[in-house]
Amino acid sequence: MFVFEWIEETRLALWVGESLWGYPLLLSLHIVGLAAVVGIFTMLNFRLLGVVKEVPCQPLVTLFGLAWAGLIINTISGVALFTSQATTFVTNIPFLIKIASIAVGVLIARPILKSVRADGASWDTGDSAPDSSVRMWAVASLLCWTFAMFGGRLIAYL
Amino acid sequence: MIQTLVQAIEGTAINNWVLSTSWLWPLMEILHFVGLTLLLGALLIVDLRLAGFLRQMNISTTHRLLPWAIVGFSINLVTGVLFFLGDPGRYAVNIGFQMKMVLILVAGLNAMWFFIKLKPMMSSWDPYGDTPAVAKVIAYLSLGIWFGVLLLGRLIPYIGTG
Repeated sequence: MFVFEWIEETRLALWVGESLWGYPLLLSLHIVGLAAVVGIFTMLNFRLLGVVKEVPCQPLVTLFGLAWAGLIINTISGVALFTSQATTFVTNIPFLIKIASIAVGVLIARPILKSVRADGASWDTGDSAPDSSVRMWAVASLLCWTFAMFGGRLIAYL
Repeated sequence: MIQTLVQAIEGTAINNWVLSTSWLWPLMEILHFVGLTLLLGALLIVDLRLAGFLRQMNISTTHRLLPWAIVGFSINLVTGVLFFLGDPGRYAVNIGFQMKMVLILVAGLNAMWFFIKLKPMMSSWDPYGDTPAVAKVIAYLSLGIWFGVLLLGRLIPYIGTG
């Protein structure tokens, strides 16, 4: 635990915790990133599950530049927020659920995007539809991002 | 006026219910987040296409996502009203909250501008082409306003009463 105590004493952690603007600025960045990541993933997953029809999936994949930008913003702002209360966060169950959900959500993006690149053209012309394994990944992805927000919100409560 | 409103709400059954149900507030916060991702996720695609990006998408097809923006907005309207009824004294005087409500109204007017003035002409546009300047203005306004709503909402605890 020594390392987390050390983190809390770094200049970054002190700035985040003590400056007037540090915390609200980082939270602002974090919610913009969240909207981009979860918003874009949700729309692609809805399309793969057939919840929204006719919207082509290939152009949705081009939006992932924005989703990854959101993820980078949230990694940076998240790390900075973490430093200010490292010893508390590291033993906080909702926080650990959040981090695990994000990790799985990011890993799952790989098979999802891979199958859209391989078969998206045929899905978009209506010649075929995402099979059950793609739909399963899409459900798992939706659950991961919802769980990540669930954990994130509960950090303050538990 | 604000004080009268706050006093009228405080002590009502719904005010007591929101305050005394311990799991309700965090549950509503999570739902408020789910709602905002539906609203902003759908609008991001609709507005970027309206601004002339994502031209591989037929512009009228992107409007199939609008019901999900409305679902997200509805979730947040219901949870938002319950937040307000649960703790009116905190929100009513908060400048961040007041600005957020004004921005949501402006977003509504901007959407009305689109549906009244532009939507009827949309069928004459090239579905895979660029969009008129006025459409781009509406699209950028929409994105700017909604991200402003997002930021103001997040900053309510920090903005306070000014």
